Amino acid sequence: MDAIQLLLLSMALFGVSAFFSLLLNGFHRAARMTSGLLGTAASIVGLVAAIRAATGSPSPLVVPALLPFGQFVLQMDGLSTLMVGMICLLGIAVSFYSISYLGQYSNRNLGVLCFFINLFIALMLLVVTIDNAFYFLIFWEMMTLASYFLVTFESEKKESVQAGFLYMLIAHAGGALIMLSFFIFFLATGSFDFATFRQADLTPVLRSLVFLLAFIGFGAKAGMVPLHVWMPSTYAAAPSNASALMASVMKKTAIYGILRVCVDFLGTPVLWWGLLVVLLGALSAVLGVFYALTERDLKRILAYSSIENVGIILLGIGTGMIGMATNQPAVTLLGFLAALYHALNHSFFKGLLFLCAGSVDYRLHTRNLNELGGLGKLMPWTGLSFLVGALAVSAIPPFNGFISEWFTYQAFFTASSGHDFIVRASMPLSAALLALAGTLAAMVAIKMYGAFAGPVRSEKVGQAIEVPGSMLSGMAFLAIGCIFLGLGAPLVTPYLAQVVTSTLGGSPQSVASGLWVYPLNYGQALLSPPLTAILLLGLLIVPVILVVIYRGYRAGRRIVNDPWACGYGYSSKMSITANNFNQPITVTFPGIYKLRTAIVERLVVVGTWSKQVRETITRIEPILENIVRQPTTRTVEYISQHIQVLQMGDIRVYCLYIVLTLVILLIAIIR
Amino acid sequence: MISASMILIGFLQALVILAVAPLFSGFSRVMRAKMHNRRGPSLLQNYRDLAKLMKRQEVIPENATWTFRAAPFVTVVSMLLVAAIIPIFTAQSPFSWVGDLILVVYLYALSRFFFSLSGLDTGSTFGGIGARRELLVSALVEPVILLVLFVMALLAGSTNLGTISTKVATGVIPFYTSVWLGMLAFAFASFVEMGKLPFDLAEAEQELQEGPLTEYSGRSLALMKWGIYMKQLLLVSLFLAVFLPFGSVNLISPGLPLLLSIPVAVVVFFLKVIAFYFIVAVLENAMARVRFLKASAITWTALGAAIMSFVFYLANV
Repeated sequence: MDAIQLLLLSMALFGVSAFFSLLLNGFHRAARMTSGLLGTAASIVGLVAAIRAATGSPSPLVVPALLPFGQFVLQMDGLSTLMVGMICLLGIAVSFYSISYLGQYSNRNLGVLCFFINLFIALMLLVVTIDNAFYFLIFWEMMTLASYFLVTFESEKKESVQAGFLYMLIAHAGGALIMLSFFIFFLATGSFDFATFRQADLTPVLRSLVFLLAFIGFGAKAGMVPLHVWMPSTYAAAPSNASALMASVMKKTAIYGILRVCVDFLGTPVLWWGLLVVLLGALSAVLGVFYALTERDLKRILAYSSIENVGIILLGIGTGMIGMATNQPAVTLLGFLAALYHALNHSFFKGLLFLCAGSVDYRLHTRNLNELGGLGKLMPWTGLSFLVGALAVSAIPPFNGFISEWFTYQAFFTASSGHDFIVRASMPLSAALLALAGTLAAMVAIKMYGAFAGPVRSEKVGQAIEVPGSMLSGMAFLAIGCIFLGLGAPLVTPYLAQVVTSTLGGSPQSVASGLWVYPLNYGQALLSPPLTAILLLGLLIVPVILVVIYRGYRAGRRIVNDPWACGYGYSSKMSITANNFNQPITVTFPGIYKLRTAIVERLVVVGTWSKQVRETITRIEPILENIVRQPTTRTVEYISQHIQVLQMGDIRVYCLYIVLTLVILLIAIIR
Repeated sequence: MISASMILIGFLQALVILAVAPLFSGFSRVMRAKMHNRRGPSLLQNYRDLAKLMKRQEVIPENATWTFRAAPFVTVVSMLLVAAIIPIFTAQSPFSWVGDLILVVYLYALSRFFFSLSGLDTGSTFGGIGARRELLVSALVEPVILLVLFVMALLAGSTNLGTISTKVATGVIPFYTSVWLGMLAFAFASFVEMGKLPFDLAEAEQELQEGPLTEYSGRSLALMKWGIYMKQLLLVSLFLAVFLPFGSVNLISPGLPLLLSIPVAVVVFFLKVIAFYFIVAVLENAMARVRFLKASAITWTALGAAIMSFVFYLANV
């Protein structure tokens, strides 16, 4: 079978899996086994399809026009293949993980949840391979709907419903913008086929308009900064396996959309497009990580951290676009390469971290970092996987996050050597901001790892045990992936570079050989992730020899109960919690956070209600949330209240509407 | 790219740094004592301390996991690798085939990551506070270090530390205004990162019982201290390699035979380090501790200098 047929088979398997899990809704165990195993199988088939497509060049599958909107074409060019591979790799991990994870939902409509998860993955596969704007929009909206039902799965919770509402609102607004941009293409070409979009002859103003519409529309879904407000609550509300998929791959379909429309269809961009993307990328990277620091819900932190990582991906995309605009093929290649590499890496480590958060939730039913602690001893393998994810997200060498950030720096560096003044001025500053985001990301990662380090803070936490095997293997798969994408950089980069040059632009040049990766010429820079790892491990012999020389091992070690507490009795309340961990940052960067002074006043008044006060004082709200979310929700509520006037619930009024409509239609036709 | 002599020099360099780091740290202890009109410890006291600690029994709190025990090893190992990459005695980077300046900056992050993690891992109050301080200081200083290095790399046309060092040493990069400003910003940033007195925040002895070091003992404490001594020396070395590489051996066109020039380079390097440590000691003893949350007010000036350096670079002066 060729790649496209395998892809169809994979989608069909997802469909079968969805169907059977719905059928088995009453039999929880059977439903989650079916969904998990069939989902894993379908993902493996999809992965094989991606590998086939990457090695050969598959001919697209064309179904002659069913509807008057053009042909139904599925294609797998370089970019689509990469996306398919990414989705399927995450599909394997998440489907397998879900077998045990969903056990906690056995008193609910589990079959429905499995149905939507399988449907969701299949729709994502369709979105990234479809070659027609009309069907793309349909699948895009269906994907949003499927994920909406995942978000509102625990529909008795008020937060879930609110999160779902906000998600729908922003996703549809974004969808509308994308639709508009496609419509401009349609007006210019008279076709919905993506192939004709590439030849569209648009005026400069229209091109810029299409860029803005598509960039903002897809950017809303990707969660870049002014439009990120839906993400934290949405990811926190969805079951962890769903939020893992949403954060790691659904976001990437939006990145795919940006690359497809703004780079592939529109061709050579205008310089300010690239600069705008870089600006919003830098904003997202820095603000995302600042906000992540003040959260205490594990999944909300991860959501904010995703905003940061989308920022880093956008920095790469923007730099690539600048390279195209200023006709520097090297910058183009490096920028897009960095973006794609980081997208791939992010889907692995963010998926991993979400699954780990899910494991904690599975055992303890809390994600509040203030209550968690000491899980490293109780759940050692989850802790280890989480540490791998934390190291990767903080861009610590030689893990995968570092490699893609290294390429981002190199893209900045190469772009700064150009001639355009604005580019030369903005690139090094972006590098400094990326460095800032990197150090803060490490702080966020350490804060999250606080759930696994330190003392056990309550009896409930103390009873946690390691999660079942299927969940462990899902996490282990992604953790190994993080390590491979780091150490195997010399293998991965040539493939990604080929994806860039085949679908996006830039001249095909060598970026890796042997054990090394380099930004086109190795005089500029050279990096060897495998040698870094080997040397770090090999040099371990030095401290070990030091210990042996001094015979330090002879004295042995003694485990005492408590850390030093100045002679007083130690209590786990003395240890630092998630809340006070970020205090220096909130104090040092007050412009970024607005502390609610009113709550501090309440602290003085309500002495006895200390618990409630402690709850509220920790609520440090991001400023943007206040500016963007509250007015939007208020306006929507206002409008919907007034629209309610029309729906009186009186059948006679409805009859009147029908009659009125008929009369108007009749008049219109007669005229 | 890779030659046997480079590999050898790299490993030797790492071992020399390992061997002399406690010496220079001892030097600053002696300096401190002299400025207080005390007799002070011997120059070799640090070695004796380390040897003694190595033999002592290790006491570990019950909460600690393996990350706590791994942190000292990670610190020493990452510093050893940094020591092999930075061009210290030679104008070329011995381990340039491993990575560039970005790797060096992020290897510091690796040691910092585990250092902070170890502070949280024990559940000790002091460790936790030290950990968060360490991370705040890095957030304030890291953008400065990266921006300055980035400007220097742009002047050299490469992010390879060896190339930068060679070009500064041979005068291909003259001392523009931007280089002077960058030097100022970088010196200030490394001073803050070294954790010397006005900014002795994370391992503050009198205030926090040495932060994350509080719970360490025995050989782990010895290794951790050794790693910190190395980190301080390597920050100075990085500064010298980028801004004052004069006297180090240019392997591509050596003036003297290697067997003669390398010892000369080693001596010159030691003299430069002693001068730097002398200045650090004067600053350290002339100032009182800065209040932790006010530290940012001072570090902004370093960022300002770094940005000015960048602006002057853009204006080509």
